[in-house]
Amino acid sequence: MVLTRTTNHTYSHPFPTVTLAFFLRYYSPQLNPFSSHVLSTDTISSHVDPVTGRLHTTRIHLKNYVLETSVVDMKEGWMKTESRNLNFTGVLSVVEEQHYSTSPPDGSAVTGAGSFNNVALGVPRPLSPNTFVTTTFSYRSTLGNKKHDRAPVDSAETPDETGPRRLGSWISGWGANRIQRSIESIASNKTDDQLIKSRDGMGMVLERLRNNSVVSVLRELRRREGKAVFDQ
Amino acid sequence: MSASLAPECNEVKERYDTCFLKWYSEKYLRGNGKADNNECSKLFENYQKCLKVALEERGIDKLLAEAREDNKENDAIHMKRK
Repeated sequence: MVLTRTTNHTYSHPFPTVTLAFFLRYYSPQLNPFSSHVLSTDTISSHVDPVTGRLHTTRIHLKNYVLETSVVDMKEGWMKTESRNLNFTGVLSVVEEQHYSTSPPDGSAVTGAGSFNNVALGVPRPLSPNTFVTTTFSYRSTLGNKKHDRAPVDSAETPDETGPRRLGSWISGWGANRIQRSIESIASNKTDDQLIKSRDGMGMVLERLRNNSVVSVLRELRRREGKAVFDQ
Repeated sequence: MSASLAPECNEVKERYDTCFLKWYSEKYLRGNGKADNNECSKLFENYQKCLKVALEERGIDKLLAEAREDNKENDAIHMKRK
């Protein structure tokens, strides 16, 4: 079984800026104070589809191991992202899917989309001033199912995280279902707080981009860290 | 600056990130990103060379392979949806 929760949100920023903030959201705690739990971010693939013009990107974020894939279609004005945990999937698999769009989720036409001169991107053409995002979290516990015994990534795991995996062997066929449902439910209740923080974080990155280009934001960050500024 | 999971890759990663974000904001978002982001591809190559070793050492390459295997079906469904 899968437990899912869907929420809608509107950013009062144009779509291109929101997609840029998405790529920047874990860049620095100075940009996004809610990102300090993210230890590292690595891009493992990134390419533009020559036919559709869509940018496909895959990154690994280290909090627990999170694999994030995204596709941006600038022409059609949408971005789809998916984040999933890479470890402990035998206990609980959480998938966060987001759909960003220039039009609201109910499909009605965007009204009041006046001319919007975006300083951050220097885009002079009219843009919708808002970006609509639908977030769906799916929780699936497979504890006690056949695939429960994955090798841990890190030897430095906390005891309560390795605990449930050991339980897997005897849980099978005995109350596994009920335990799986309650794991899903607990995780789902925890997400509300996380979702608010993630929105607030995006909001702070967006505010920085409202009046500054990304290049100047990056330069400022490097300066603050006392590093040489890249010229490229 | 966000770090790489492999500290030895921090420098090459940051160079690539800086290049990518500049390309993304100045070219892709303005509709000039049709070709691949060539100006960053050399930097990406250097970064991946470094990262690949780290992913293997930490066993993350195996997790990635598993995740891809698990989601082949899901992905096929998602791609059709849009």
